[in-house]
Amino acid sequence: MSLTPADTPQPTAISVRRKIPLSLIVGGLIVGLHLLAGILTILWTPYEPTAMVGGRLAEPSIAHWAGTDRLGRDLFTQILIGARIALEVGSGAVLVGAGIGITLGTLAAFATRTLDDVFAAAFDILIAFPTLLVAMLIVTASQTASLFTAVLAIGIAGSAIIARLTRILVKRVLSMDYIVAARVAGSSWPSIVFVHVLPNIWPTLIVNLALQFGLAAMAESSLSYLGLGAPPPNASWGRLLQEAQGTVYTAPFGAIAPGLALVTLVIGMNLLADGLRAFADPTRRRSR
Amino acid sequence: MLRSFSIPTSLACCIKLGIVGFFASTTAFAPSLHAADFDANASINIGSLYEPQNLDNTAGAGQGINEAFNGNVYEALFRLSDSGAVEPVLAKDYKVSEDGLAYIFTLQPGVKFHSGEPLTAKDVKHSIERVTGPDSKSSRKNSLKGIASIETPDDATVVIKLSARSISLPYNLSYVWIVNDSGKDLKSAENGTGPYKLGDWRRGSSLSLARFEGYWGTKPTNSGVTFRYFTDATALNNALLTGSVDIITSVQSPDSLKQFQTNKSFTVAEGQSTTKLLLAYNDRVAPFDNVKVRKALARAIDKKKLLNAVWGDRGLVIGSFVPPTDPWYVDLTKVDDYNVESAKALLAEAGLKDGFTFTIDTPNYDPHPLVAQFLQTEYAKIGVKVNINIITANEWYSKVYKAHDFQATLQEHVNHRDIVFYSNPDFYWGYNNSKAIDLVKSSEASMTTDEQTGRLKEANTQIAEDAASNWLYLYPQIVVSKASVTGYPVNGLNSQFFTSAIQKGGK
Repeated sequence: MSLTPADTPQPTAISVRRKIPLSLIVGGLIVGLHLLAGILTILWTPYEPTAMVGGRLAEPSIAHWAGTDRLGRDLFTQILIGARIALEVGSGAVLVGAGIGITLGTLAAFATRTLDDVFAAAFDILIAFPTLLVAMLIVTASQTASLFTAVLAIGIAGSAIIARLTRILVKRVLSMDYIVAARVAGSSWPSIVFVHVLPNIWPTLIVNLALQFGLAAMAESSLSYLGLGAPPPNASWGRLLQEAQGTVYTAPFGAIAPGLALVTLVIGMNLLADGLRAFADPTRRRSR
Repeated sequence: MLRSFSIPTSLACCIKLGIVGFFASTTAFAPSLHAADFDANASINIGSLYEPQNLDNTAGAGQGINEAFNGNVYEALFRLSDSGAVEPVLAKDYKVSEDGLAYIFTLQPGVKFHSGEPLTAKDVKHSIERVTGPDSKSSRKNSLKGIASIETPDDATVVIKLSARSISLPYNLSYVWIVNDSGKDLKSAENGTGPYKLGDWRRGSSLSLARFEGYWGTKPTNSGVTFRYFTDATALNNALLTGSVDIITSVQSPDSLKQFQTNKSFTVAEGQSTTKLLLAYNDRVAPFDNVKVRKALARAIDKKKLLNAVWGDRGLVIGSFVPPTDPWYVDLTKVDDYNVESAKALLAEAGLKDGFTFTIDTPNYDPHPLVAQFLQTEYAKIGVKVNINIITANEWYSKVYKAHDFQATLQEHVNHRDIVFYSNPDFYWGYNNSKAIDLVKSSEASMTTDEQTGRLKEANTQIAEDAASNWLYLYPQIVVSKASVTGYPVNGLNSQFFTSAIQKGGK
């Protein structure tokens, strides 16, 4: 992190910096667990994901930790794969959203006043539409439901929030004296952006991206629940929830298990974001 | 099922929408209470998932209007009873000319429309022409194409002249509502002769029917019924559990039944449905134009296991498009019985030893996505890769049904006596076998019903031998009611739900 002289931590602040917030630890553990589960499925799963290995709606047992679905497929296997899909979509969508959002936000901040107003209005209008609705529109318009379109749709739909935040952060940094100094010293715009601006807005941005990650995982589940996400046999949690809906009274674990997986991932991401904010955001640290 | 149809209605008619055709009698009703045991002034609340889009069955209202109005608000010359027989209703009797080209119907006397006007032959003529006319979206319009003219020599007599013999005419007339010819817009109002008249229609929520005091036939055993519409099956089940409805017309999942089976306050009745789930191939395109490939795909599926996954112990594997309630049902389950080895051999004979890949356009509502995954796993065993493309009911209508732009699709067909769809090479699945087409067409010119049945059995067998589609299973029809409510139909043929014999016990 590049800090201006005024931000240079005092001796007492160093100890604060070393204290890792509890939320960061807990969030990191939860997300790490999901990450491990997701990576594990690339190498190994308890059963073949599509193999009909058990009875219809078998209850949780040692052989099937989360029971089986109506086709007799092992639910635990599918939930593990669901973790991989949630992480793939989450990270993919955040990359897409950050790519678009940071670029547009930075451009807006550097643009002439009129153009900046246009950008700002456009971001606000986009944000006014719920992310899921925009994502549904994009998937429907693309005519194909796949993991790729889900990533793209959720990424694009979420980019306006990142763009708006980036614009505000960049504008704030641009008004700082050291930027004026850099300009006077003859720095080019690209070097100002990459050397001075982005490193300074990064801590705030990354917290926001962590939050976006959780939202993207949830959006993917929602799309799959509606049949607009990755098509079967991709075991998305949303699809598992959708399939378990009709049997929620007779075989509740079919809905509880993927529901829990989704809830813990989103809570984990939120805790992680919160922890990151406490740990890394220079403005927060100063205010302590 | 095209049940929650918010879309094109002609589709609805022909697929999941019950067309108003029918057949026959009343023996399958739930047992009735003794006269003294029920309250003739009770109002019955019926929970359903099928809200009509409008009130006119020639304007694409969907299956919901058949459920609410057939035999309740509107009557026809004949009706298809709950057991599948065609019985006269507004036609007191009829004669057929020797050449089979003229039908002379005598109308039931003393019949009044809800507006108070008497039923005349002109109303019958008007009603039939309403179905066959250019504006009609009735899916069975084609089956009345053979009507050359309709004459009304007097108020009580209707003469229908045909251009070719049509033994199914009485059956086909059972889905022609007899409406008053005064020209009301029937999309939002009604003028029928049935035991009930329209009470209050609250779009999106309910439709009530009130007893018509001027009814010519047997009076209903209740004062009226209200159809309450739900979009979610779980909410509907809860409505019955909490007492806000008395009956659910059709339960769509076996898993919700446990809560009613174990509770003495409810009755679970299982009848015969006419709803078939099928994997329909586009028989026009390779490799589905090859009968060996189709047979291989039929043999690769363990249909009993599939049925069990979706419906538990209920439902029936039928091996063809014809359910047991159609007169020409033949057990054809052995034609392409489950046999993975023989499926592989057939594929090899067809030159596809290494398998192939195809896409199933899958409607996005239960059970289709689940079934598609089952097929995907089963076909993998014979080296055939399946891609699942989830689509909405609207997309299904435009892409599959209208544009024929698909390789294979999953769909439910609800109608009864609908084997005729296989005699139309322009139908979405494009099956085209001249022998089967001739048999279906010539069956219509039969002199006797035995002859008709014989030909259609032969056609059915031919279509099954050709594995024209992959008929996965026949749905069960399950009606659940409060134990105090009886007298309702249990078979739900063509989505009908006659309400006039429903009784509610005690006061």
